[in-house]
Order: sequence, then structure tokens, then C-alpha cells
Amino acid sequence: MLGQHTPLTPALPLISQPQPYLTLTGRAGFSGFPSPAQDYEPRTLDLNTRLIKNPTETFYITAAGDSMEGWGIFDSDLLIVDRGVKPRLGHILVAMFDGEVLIKRYALYQGTPHLCSAHPHYPPLPLEGTDCQLWGVVRAVVHEYLR
Amino acid sequence: MIGLVDGNNFYVSCERIFQPKLEGRPVGVMSNNDGCIIARSAELKALDIPMGTPAFKLEELRQRGDIHLLSSNYELYGDMSARLTQLLRNACPDVAPYSIDEMFVYLEDFTAEQCEALGRKLRQRIRRHLGLPVCVGLAPTHTLAKLANHVAKQDPYYQGVCLLGGQDHTTEALLKRTPVSSVWGVGHRLAERLAIGGVRTAWELRESDEKQLRKRFSVVLARTALELRGTPCLTMNALDLPRQRIMTSRSFGQPTGDFTQVHNALRRHAQRSAEKLREQRSLARAVMVFLNTNRHRRDQPQCFPQALIALPSPSDDTRVILDTVRQGLEQMYRPHHHFMKAGVMLLDLVDAERHQLSLLGPTPHHHHPLLMAAVDQINQQMGRGTISFGMTNAPAAWQLRCAHRSPRFTTRWDELMLAGTHPGAIDACTSRT
Repeated sequence: MLGQHTPLTPALPLISQPQPYLTLTGRAGFSGFPSPAQDYEPRTLDLNTRLIKNPTETFYITAAGDSMEGWGIFDSDLLIVDRGVKPRLGHILVAMFDGEVLIKRYALYQGTPHLCSAHPHYPPLPLEGTDCQLWGVVRAVVHEYLR
Repeated sequence: MIGLVDGNNFYVSCERIFQPKLEGRPVGVMSNNDGCIIARSAELKALDIPMGTPAFKLEELRQRGDIHLLSSNYELYGDMSARLTQLLRNACPDVAPYSIDEMFVYLEDFTAEQCEALGRKLRQRIRRHLGLPVCVGLAPTHTLAKLANHVAKQDPYYQGVCLLGGQDHTTEALLKRTPVSSVWGVGHRLAERLAIGGVRTAWELRESDEKQLRKRFSVVLARTALELRGTPCLTMNALDLPRQRIMTSRSFGQPTGDFTQVHNALRRHAQRSAEKLREQRSLARAVMVFLNTNRHRRDQPQCFPQALIALPSPSDDTRVILDTVRQGLEQMYRPHHHFMKAGVMLLDLVDAERHQLSLLGPTPHHHHPLLMAAVDQINQQMGRGTISFGMTNAPAAWQLRCAHRSPRFTTRWDELMLAGTHPGAIDACTSRT
């Protein structure tokens, strides 16, 4: 609901260290026998630690459009964008181009850096001489088959 | 050295990160319920539209598309503020947030050159990695750092980072052309009284006799003069002077991970903050709650959670603030940590009388000035904490007007920024839905 006393918590934990989980070290009931699982520290796999390297500088974005399908980005996919990464050729970037927010692949085209899409309708946009500003580097894409 | 990192037009800058079309345009952010302007972009300032202008007066300009007015989006600003603090903490461990967009960093054992280099590096990193423009002021004392920051913002020569050594020629020249009213903690009335005694510039205050200042004015002013000389003597708590925000924070006697203990401490701080608020006859628009673990205990898990919640209407009511603090704590609390410090900050203050005289604002909810005055009087006469507040009821469902609020880009899954895979893709997508 709009503005109704809306509290704030960062959508992602801003610290990259793993959260301290209560470790439930294996013990077989009250029999006194050591559990065979005792030597295996229980762990919880946290997608945050896998997909997010710079929590403070990571933002989520929703993709719109079909012209990046060739590189695995579909309409309404979730992009995990890291602003702390230095862009290199081959990276998929979020950039501001002509006041628009675009997802493109940063690659060489005819020997010069361009922002490329994966669709023949949209020719590569040359970076030279244009007012293009990097927003962030796409670190991962989340495509949900079931919602 | 002390560094002050201060966001340029912070609220507007937060909006611009996710709305590139606002870049270079006159943008204003409105108070709760879209009452009046509380933040302005440089372009809006250039149009001579002052702070506090009622939004309805600007409606025509807005409809013509000459200016952009946005409802305040505290969730977004709070999240970006938390990111800023964390980014600074990653670079230099000793960081003290002073308000939502101002952070002090304490740089011990650094030379002046190293401090300036670090300041530039941080400024660049914050700009690139968070998208936020900031300025950095560096100096041996809080008061000079504030002044240095002001210069870094005003004078393009410094390119956003200004270092004042305290004893050097630059500091002297700057203090000589700074009116005393621009010094931190010197209000207009105090400046007038000082002018009678011939003290008009910051330099003249610095050169004044400390004992005389203490006798004729106050201990705080004497300390301010010392600070201008480069001798650190004001602590964070004494820096409540500018009255733009009120902070009450304290370390626990012993680190605690107990929710109730943390809550009780925050409740005390909330009550004290509300008293301070009423003492200076202000109302707060937003409340920030924060917790710190002990950063020196590397062996323990660290976290520095904070939560920022907008009040439904500006308020000085202890019960409203207590409720908000509880909500904030519930939102941000993380178990299994040993917290060392807890604090409550009241932000975006408005003058109570002016606010109540205006017919524009909504009537404050839960408004009981007599009750609050009675509580304050009893606590003053019989000792602080004689009367305190028990648990209060959950607040009623308030309906806020925020017709022009931008999406909460960083805190809501269904309000994320859209990026198109080709020009026009976003328009096609939004017209489809």
C-alpha cells in the first residue's frame, strides 16, 4: 500500500560475510551415541553469497524486451547488476543511452567498441562520440520458469 | 584528520540514479503528503524556488513540464544511505553517520596528502559504484571539516574535495572571508550578538579570547573557537547544534544480543530525542534507528543495520516516535549479534509553530501538546525518566498522499528499475501492462 508507514530494510544484506547460523551439530537423540552426521558441519547454501560479490554496490533490475534473448536474457528476467565491476569486452552492461536505460553486450564491432544486442533488427550502437554512460555490469540473470 | 562526506542534493541524487531523464532537470522532492519542497536539485535552486515552498504554488510549472516534483521516497533514500555508510566502512573502519546524507570518517595516522588522496578516491568510488555525487571536507576538527565540505561544494576549484590543515594560509584566508553565521553551531541570533562585539568573520571568532567567549556566551562557543584553531574539542553529541536533525545514541554497558534489551535502550533514546525535539520546538518528518556491533572484535560477526521510516505527518509526539522506532527495530534486527551501540535519529525537522500555522499541512495525528508538555515538565522537575511511556498501541492505518512517489527501486521486488534490451523496449513493455 502506498506510503503507509513503510519501513525500510536493505533488500540485500550489505555485508558479504555469511550470517552466523545456529549450528545444530548432529547428535543422535539422548542415546549418547555420536551421530554419524557429526563430522559434517551443517551448511545452508545461500544464493546471495553465490550471485552477489559486492552487496553494497549490487542492484536488481528487471529486463524489458526480447532483443537479448540470444544471450539468455528474456523479457521480465531479473538482472543482478554489480556497479563495482570494471567493464570488459564481452560483459553485458546496463548503460544510459539517450536518456534510456539499456541492456547491451559490450563488444568489438568492426574493430571499435560497440553496445550490441542479439537481434538483427537492432544494429550495434557505437560508443565513440555518443553520450553513453555505464550504469553497471550484469553479473547474473535469474530466469524463473515457475512463478 | 576528520573527513565529512556529504551527499550533494541527496534525495534528488537518489532519484536520478534510477531515472536518468531527471539528470540536468529542475527536480524537487516534497514532504509527506506532498505539502512543500524539502529537497531541491541545483537546477531548481537556480530557479529561485526556496525550500519550504508549498507544492500547490508550483503546480502550474509542474504541469507545464518545466519542473519535476516527486513525493518523498524515504525507503529509497534510506537504502542508499545505508549503502553509502557501508561503502565508507569498507574503506575506513571508523565511520559515524551524522545524518542521512552526512558521514564523518576518522582517519588516524594518515598524512594530509594521504587523506586528500583517500578523499578523492572515495568520492570517485561513491559516484561510480553507487551513482551518488558527494563532496568531501577534511580537517583536524569537526567544525573545520564541515567548513571544508561547504567549500568543496561551493568552489569548483576543489573538485569536490577540500582539505583544511588548520594552521595554513588557506585556512586563514578562508576563515577571513567566512561570515561567523556560516560556522557550525552559530545561529543567526548568536551571530548578531557576536557582531555587536565586533566578531563578524570566522577568523575573528577564532582569534577571540576563549575565556571571554565562555563568560559572555557559552562553553560551546568557546569550544567552537578552539575547533576553528584546529584543536579538536567537540564530540559528536555536542554537534547537535545545527538542529537539522537530533540524535541520541549510546553504547551499551555490555554488548548485548537480546532483543528486549536493545529495544529498551532504543526506547530510552526515542524518548530523550522527542524531548529534545520539543525543547527546540520542532517536528520530525522521519526517524532513523541504527545498531552497531563492535568493529574491533574481528572474531565476532559484524553488522550495522539501520532503518529509516517516514512519519505519516510531522510529529513531536513521543508515542508516535516510539511506535516508529519499534517498527524500525523489528525490520532491521538480526539475531546472534552482539550489539555495542544503539541510536535514534530524528530527521528533516520543521519548525513546529510555522508548521501548525500553515493550513496546508494535514492535521497532525495523535496531537497532544498538553500531554507532552506535562510529561516534559514533570521530568524536568522530578528528574529525567520520572514519567516514561509504556508500550503503546499499534498506530492506526494512516493514509498518506504521495501521488508522485517514484518506485522503491531497491527495496521492493515489484518496483525494480526497468532496463530495455533495445531503444523503445521499456515504453512497449509499460504500455502493454
